[in-house]
Amino acid sequence: MVTIHPDKIEESTTQSRPKVIVFTCNWNAYSGLETAGVEHLTYSPSVHPLKVMCLGQISPGIVLKAFEKGADGVLLLGCPPGECHFEFGNRRAAEIFEEVKGLVALLGYREEQLKLDWIGAGEGETFVNVVNNFVEKLNGSASDVA
Amino acid sequence: MEVLAMLPDMKEIIDQNRAWFCLDCGKCGAVCPISKWEAREFTSPRLLIEKALQGRTEEVMDDALFWSCLICKRCTELCPSDVYFTEFLRDARSLARGLDRVGDCTHSEMIQTWGRMMSNRDQRQNRLSWLTDDLEVSDDSDTVYFVGCLPYYDPLFKKMDVEGVAVAQAAVKIMNHFGIAPQVLAEERCCGHDQLWEGDQETFRTLGQINIEYLKESGAKRIITTCPECARTLKIDYPQFIENHGLEVLHLVEFLATQEIKGSADYDAAVTYQDACNLGRHLGVYDAPRQIMDNLGFDLVEMNRSRNAALCCGTSCWRACGQVSKSIQVERLKEAKATGAETLVTSCIKCQIHFKCAQNDPILGDEIDIVIRDLTTLVADSLMES
Repeated sequence: MVTIHPDKIEESTTQSRPKVIVFTCNWNAYSGLETAGVEHLTYSPSVHPLKVMCLGQISPGIVLKAFEKGADGVLLLGCPPGECHFEFGNRRAAEIFEEVKGLVALLGYREEQLKLDWIGAGEGETFVNVVNNFVEKLNGSASDVA
Repeated sequence: MEVLAMLPDMKEIIDQNRAWFCLDCGKCGAVCPISKWEAREFTSPRLLIEKALQGRTEEVMDDALFWSCLICKRCTELCPSDVYFTEFLRDARSLARGLDRVGDCTHSEMIQTWGRMMSNRDQRQNRLSWLTDDLEVSDDSDTVYFVGCLPYYDPLFKKMDVEGVAVAQAAVKIMNHFGIAPQVLAEERCCGHDQLWEGDQETFRTLGQINIEYLKESGAKRIITTCPECARTLKIDYPQFIENHGLEVLHLVEFLATQEIKGSADYDAAVTYQDACNLGRHLGVYDAPRQIMDNLGFDLVEMNRSRNAALCCGTSCWRACGQVSKSIQVERLKEAKATGAETLVTSCIKCQIHFKCAQNDPILGDEIDIVIRDLTTLVADSLMES
């Protein structure tokens, strides 16, 4: 498990490509990640999880910053509808995603480079599938472009 | 006096901006919108200059006005000794940056972030999706339409119904109407106005250099923009700090004032006009927008403070927005309401964003409720009707 400080994104992204920053909500998605660890499931080394106490807490600016610092993709993983620890956090996250999606597109990034998804507590396998799919699509579309 | 304790850079900044000439008369503080509303401490341009002259550089940078100054130029314009306070602050902020000091950011620093991202030469944007089929553009026109950050404001301020893209589309429509199919640059960058005025010289210069390269490559002779900040930056700051590109720079209202447009506006309600700081006090364009409204048959009612005395929209450089900004915005919107006009017209997208944001206030409601439109979209609507 790697948890990195935003300022370290650049540093960590100098390693293998693509670089994917995964913002995980502490209560569900992150628990999914931990379960994956406990069950010894492996996932793409491209994935750099960044734990936040609620996905609704991230701001559109921090998503842009991840791209600015060199991320190839940003994945936002929050609690499934109705399961937010703070009731409204995932709705707020959906709003933030909508806001930043348009800006990221204007800055020239492809649709598959930014995604929002939900992962329930303890769903280790779902976590692995979601992040691996994201990285695969990213690789696929990058080679399309190239 | 602890002049010797001053950083040499601050001494230079003082010299360059005529701070020694401050008479301590206090005219600046009397008109400064921040001085009026800043409740945490007493502050005024005069006090800031005094601190600087006494070598209290740290205190200058800690002053409430230091990062919240709107660079509206009201004080500088009124100063009997010609102290360039606005420019003094620009340079001092740059010095502060060198000491790792920055002001409070707003919008999670998103706007500064996209500015920095655009300063990466390899960044390939997708910024022309607003160009619809009915809009005519070309690759070899003498005129470049410099769009600025307009397309970026729409997704960011979606909830406020901001006329970002609408202004850009209206501008091209208007130019088409006058027989111009302007060039629109696919890789145009943010002009760097905010970066310059908040002391981020490095990003400003890079953005400017990239823009100048693209502008020169276009072979155009004239730049038309719909943003007063872009107009000022391209016209005054690029030649001063980067390179004299030799291109004529006009805000769309300056161009329109030279064209024949006749009143066919089916717009009965009275309108009032907000002079944007950069278009008014910075560039001295006061008559052009008024002449256009007159030609189109608008019934313009001036606010108490208009032209060079106009009140700023309350926020600048996407920094330090808060209670003070809100108070200024409400003050101005009430002034606009007091004219009896139904529409507040402006020629700056940022004025529109800031006023519309203030109007989100659920309590003030009717007190500050007035339609806010950009002159560009109003003109385009009138031209289409005629």
